[in-house]
Amino acid sequence: MISVTTVILTSVLYFGILFGVAYYADRQRERGHSLVDNPSVYSLSLAVYCTSWTFYGSVGRAATNGIDFLAIYLGPTLIAFSWWFLLRKMVRISKEQNITSIADFISSRYGKSPLLGAVVTVFAVIGIMPYIALQLKAVSRTFDLLVSPLATVNIRMHVLPKFDLHFDSALVVALILGIFGIIFGARHLDASERHEGLVAAIALESVVKIIAFVAAGIFVTYGLFDGFTEIFHDFLIRFPERRHLLMLGSGENTYAHWLSMTFISMMAIMFLPRQFHIMVIENCREDHIRSAMWRFPAYMVVINLFVIPIALGGLLLANGDSYNADFFVITLPLQYGQPWLALLVFLGGFSASAGMVMVSSVALSTMILNHLLIPIILKFHTGANELSGLLLNLKRLCILAVIFLGYVYYRLLGESAALVNIGLISFVAATQFAPAVIGGLYWRQATRRGATVGLVLGFFMWFYTLLIPSFVQSGWISPGIVQEGLWGLALLKPTQLFGLSGFDVWTHALFWTMFVNLGSYLAISLLTSPSKEEREQIGKFVDVFNPAPLKAERTRISKAPTIMEFVDLMAKFIGIKQAHTAISEYMGNREIDEKGGLSENDILKLKRFTELTLAGSVGAAPARIIVDKYLSARGSHMEDVFDLFGSVNISRTASREQLSVLYDAARTIASGNDLQSILDALLEVFTDQFKFDLCVIRILDEDRQTLTVRSQRGMSSEHFGESERDLTSETFIGETFLTNSVSVVNDSDVISKPTTAQIIHREKILSFAHAPISIEGQPIGVLSAFSRTAKGIFTKEFVELFTSLAGMVGVAWRNAQQTEHLIRAREQQRELAIAKDIQLSLLPTSTPEVPGVALGGICIPAQEVGGDYYDYLHHEDGRLDLVIADVSGHNVGAALLMAETRTLIRSRKGHLNNPQEIIRELNQFFYEDLTRAELFITLFYLQFCPETRQITFASAGHSPTLLWQSKLKKCIRLDPEGLIIGVKEDFPYEQESLKLVDGDVLLLYTDGVIEAENDMNELFGEDRLVLLLEEHNKLPPQDMIDHIIEQVRLFSGHRSFKDDVSLIVMQVKQP
Amino acid sequence: MKTERKLPLKDAWVIWFILGVVMINYPFLHIFNKDILVFGIPLTILYFYIGWPVSIFVIYLFSIYLVRHSPEHDAPGNDQDNNSHGGAA
Repeated sequence: MISVTTVILTSVLYFGILFGVAYYADRQRERGHSLVDNPSVYSLSLAVYCTSWTFYGSVGRAATNGIDFLAIYLGPTLIAFSWWFLLRKMVRISKEQNITSIADFISSRYGKSPLLGAVVTVFAVIGIMPYIALQLKAVSRTFDLLVSPLATVNIRMHVLPKFDLHFDSALVVALILGIFGIIFGARHLDASERHEGLVAAIALESVVKIIAFVAAGIFVTYGLFDGFTEIFHDFLIRFPERRHLLMLGSGENTYAHWLSMTFISMMAIMFLPRQFHIMVIENCREDHIRSAMWRFPAYMVVINLFVIPIALGGLLLANGDSYNADFFVITLPLQYGQPWLALLVFLGGFSASAGMVMVSSVALSTMILNHLLIPIILKFHTGANELSGLLLNLKRLCILAVIFLGYVYYRLLGESAALVNIGLISFVAATQFAPAVIGGLYWRQATRRGATVGLVLGFFMWFYTLLIPSFVQSGWISPGIVQEGLWGLALLKPTQLFGLSGFDVWTHALFWTMFVNLGSYLAISLLTSPSKEEREQIGKFVDVFNPAPLKAERTRISKAPTIMEFVDLMAKFIGIKQAHTAISEYMGNREIDEKGGLSENDILKLKRFTELTLAGSVGAAPARIIVDKYLSARGSHMEDVFDLFGSVNISRTASREQLSVLYDAARTIASGNDLQSILDALLEVFTDQFKFDLCVIRILDEDRQTLTVRSQRGMSSEHFGESERDLTSETFIGETFLTNSVSVVNDSDVISKPTTAQIIHREKILSFAHAPISIEGQPIGVLSAFSRTAKGIFTKEFVELFTSLAGMVGVAWRNAQQTEHLIRAREQQRELAIAKDIQLSLLPTSTPEVPGVALGGICIPAQEVGGDYYDYLHHEDGRLDLVIADVSGHNVGAALLMAETRTLIRSRKGHLNNPQEIIRELNQFFYEDLTRAELFITLFYLQFCPETRQITFASAGHSPTLLWQSKLKKCIRLDPEGLIIGVKEDFPYEQESLKLVDGDVLLLYTDGVIEAENDMNELFGEDRLVLLLEEHNKLPPQDMIDHIIEQVRLFSGHRSFKDDVSLIVMQVKQP
Repeated sequence: MKTERKLPLKDAWVIWFILGVVMINYPFLHIFNKDILVFGIPLTILYFYIGWPVSIFVIYLFSIYLVRHSPEHDAPGNDQDNNSHGGAA
C-alpha cells in the first residue's frame, strides 16, 4: 500500500512535468521552432489510441476472453497500409479546407451542411461518453487499489489525512483533466485548431505508458516467473480447461467475432474524434504519415508484448480468480513488494487515460462549439459586440461538460461493465462515421441526404443494439426489453434483432448498424443528386490531389523544382544576398547536374531547408504554408502572389488569420483587375476581416499636392471618406505621409492634434490608424482605418499587419502604373506596326520588265520603320530610273521624309529629265524642312537608257555605286560629287555618264551594308562588298542580293541589322 | 519511366492489405490456430507475434520505397489518385 499523500504528490509532480513540456512546446512554436514537427512525435501522439483500455483492459480481456483483444491492434496495423493514400488524402483536404474536426470534415464534404455537422457532433458526444467514463473509471479504480489494495468494493471517497479533505478520486481526476484540456486546448481561439503543447504532452505520456507497461511486463514475466514459456507451461497445467483462452474460434472467440473486432478497430483508429484530431488536424506535415505507418504499429506490438504473460501470470497467482483481472498490471507489483513499480504503472495508466480524455474533450468541444453553439449564437447575435471572448469561454465550458458527462456515465453505468466492453461501444459508434467519410473521399455520387440518413439510422441502431443492452446490464432499465424484445415482440430483441441470433453482441450490432447505415447511405445517394454546394465540395474532396482547374498546369507542377526556384522563393523573403549565402552554405559540395537540377531525395531535403530558413523570419507555420503553396503554384499565375507576398514584411508571429488576410490581399492584387477594383477589393478584404467602420485609401495628387481619396469602404462621412487632406503635419494623415511612418491612436480621447480631434469626436471615432502607402520607400499615399466600436484595437501585431497591407496597396499601385506604361508602349508598338506596313507598301513590290536588264532590290529596316528607300521608275519612253536613298534616323520622322521623297520623285517623273535636275529639285524642296528637323538625306539617282545602254547618274552624298565591268573584269566606283540633301540650298550637283555592255552589273546600296559591324567592331566595308560582286556577278540579281545579305549577317553575327540595309542590283544582258 | 515504376505502388498496397486480412482470418488462420506449443509458446500466439512484426516490416519497406521513389510527394499521390477514382466514380 502506498499512502494517499505519496500518490497525490507523485501525480501532481507528474502533472507539473506534463504542463512544463506542453508549455515549452507552445512557447517554442511561438518562436518558430516547432517541437512536435517530427515524425517520432507524430507517431507517439497517435498512440493516444492506446488508452487505459489498452493499459488495463487488454489484460482483463486476455484473462477472461482470451486473445481476441489482439484484434483491436491488428486492425489498425492493417489499415496503416492505407495511410499513405487514405490518411494523407484526409490530411490534405483538411489543411486545404481548414477543417477543424471530423464533424467539420463530414459536413464540409456534403455541401457544408450545418445539419449534418450537428448530427455528427451529437452522435460523437454520445458515442464517446462511455469511453471517457472508462478512463475515469480506470484512474479512480487504480487510485483506490494503490492506496487500499485489499478493499474489494469500490471506495467512493478518499481522505487526504493532513487536510482532512474528502474527495472522490474520479471527480478530482475529471476536474484536473478538464483544466489541462482548457489550458492547452482552449487558451485562445485558433482557427487551425492546432495545439502543439497538447501534442507534446500526449507524446510524452505515450513514452511513459509504454515504459511503465513494459516494466510491469518484465517484472511479471521474469521477476515472478521464469519467462514466457514457464508462464504458458504452468498455465496449461493448472488450468487446462481454460486453454481456449490461447486460441481463437472457440467459446466466445468465434472467427466472426474476431473479424468484427478487426473491422471495428480499423474504423475506430481512423474515425474516433480524438484519433481524427491527432492524426489529421494536429498533423504538421504529410510526410510524417510515412514513418508513422510503421512506427505506430511497432509501438502497439511492444505495448502488447506482455499482455498475455501478465494476464496468465495474474490468473496463476490469483488462483484463477479473474475478478480483478483488469488491474493485474498494478496489483501484481503491489502484492509482490514493488510499490514503486506499481506507482509507475499507475502513472502509465494515468497517462493513458489523461491523453485520451484531454484530446477527446478538446476535439468534442470544438465540434460542439462550431456545430451546435455557434449556429445558435449567430441566430440571436446582433453583431454589435465582440464574440471571441464568449466563444472562448463557451469552448472551455464544453471541455468541462464533455468530461463531466463522462463522469456521470461512469457513476451511473460504469461500475457494471468491464473496461473493454465500454470501449467497444464507442468503437462501434465511431465506425458509423466510416461510410460517410470514406464514401465522401472516393464516391462522387454520395449525397448529403444519403449521409445524413445513413448516420441517423446507424446511430439509432447502435443505440438500440448496444447501448440499451448495456443499460440493462447495469440495471438502469429492466431486462424485459432484452429478454422479450420491445413491446414483447421477440423480433425486436436488441441483441437478436429480427431473429438474427448466434452471434456475439458486437458482431450483431456491427452487422445491423452497418447494414442500415451503409444501405441507406448507398440507396439514398443513388436516388438523390448532390446540390450545387455539394457539387462544389465533391471536387475539393475527391480530386484533392489533382484539382480540375489546374489540370493544364499539372505537368509544370509535377516538374521537379530547381535550386534556383528555392533560392528565388527565399530571396523574396530574406533578400537575395542572404538567400545566396544560405544556399551556398547548404549546398557545400553537393553534386548538382548541369541544369542546376537535384536528385529527388535532395529536393526533399532542400525543401525542408527552405522551410527552416524561412521559418527564421516568418515563423514555422507560415513558412510551411508558404513553401507548400509556392511549390504547388509554380508555373502558374500564382507566382505573382508570392512576389507580392514576399514584398511585404510578415511578422514571425503572424497568425494563420493574418497570413490568410495577406494572402487574400496578394491574390486580389494578382487578379489582373483594374486598379480601382483592386483597391476596392483590398479594402473589402480588410474591413470584412476586421470589422472596421471605415477604411480609406488616399493617394497623392502630385499636381495639387493633396492626398485624394481613391477608395473608401464603410460609413460615409464628408469629414473622413470624401475629403482630401493637405500635406501638413496638422492632421495625422498628413503627418503619416510626410514622416512616412505609421500613426496609431488607440484612444481618441487623447489626441494631440486639435483639428483632427474635432472631426474624430464629431464622428464618434474611438480609435484609428494610418499607414503610409509607399513604393520603394517613397510614400505615395495613406491607408486609414477607423473604428467606432472599440478602443485599443491597434495592437503591435495588428499594426504590423496593417503596415503590410499598406505595402500591398503600394505594390498594387506600382503594378497598375507599370501596366499603364506597358499599355502605352504597346499602343505605340501597334502604331509603329501600322507605319511599317505603310512604309513597306511604298517600296516596289515587283521589278519592272525592262528589255536588256535584270533587276533586283531589297530594303530591310533595322527597326519597325526606317529611313531607307529605293525605287525603280520606268518611263514611257523606255528609260529606267533607279533611286536609292537614306534618310538619317530610323524613326517615324525618317519614314515620313522617305515617303515625301518618294512622292516628290514620282510626281516629277515626267517633268525632269536627268538625275542632276531631280537631285537639285529635291535639295531645294527639302532644304528648309530638313534644316528645321535636323535631318538629312543621301541619295543616288541613276538613269538607264536601254536603247543606248547609257547610264547617267548623280549623287547627293550617297555611298558610291559599284559597277562590275565584265569586259575589264574589274569593279569601279561611281561617285559623282554632290552634297547631302538639306545642307546647302543651291548646290551644283555633278552628273556623269557611262556606257554599259553585256554582263556589266550595277550595285546600289546604302551605308547599312558596309557599316555592318562584327563583335570586334570591324566594319563590313566596301572591299568585302566589291569582292562579293566580283565573285558572284553571274548570279541572278535577286540571288546575288540574298547572298550579299547572308554574308553581311554572317559577318556581323546577328540576324538583325543595326542600320537599315538596302540594295539594288541591275545586270545588263542580251536584250 | 517514372510513372511506370510508381503505378504498382497502390496495387502493391491493396495486395498486401488483402493478404493481411486473409492471413489473420478464417480459414487461413485455422492453419495456425492449433492447440500445440512451439518452443513452449502456443502456436496461435506465436503466429500472431511473428506475423505482426513481419507485416510492420513490410510497411517499413513500403515507406522506404516511398522515400526513394517520390521526392515530391505530390507526384505519386496524383498518379495514385487518378487511378483510384477512375475506378470509384
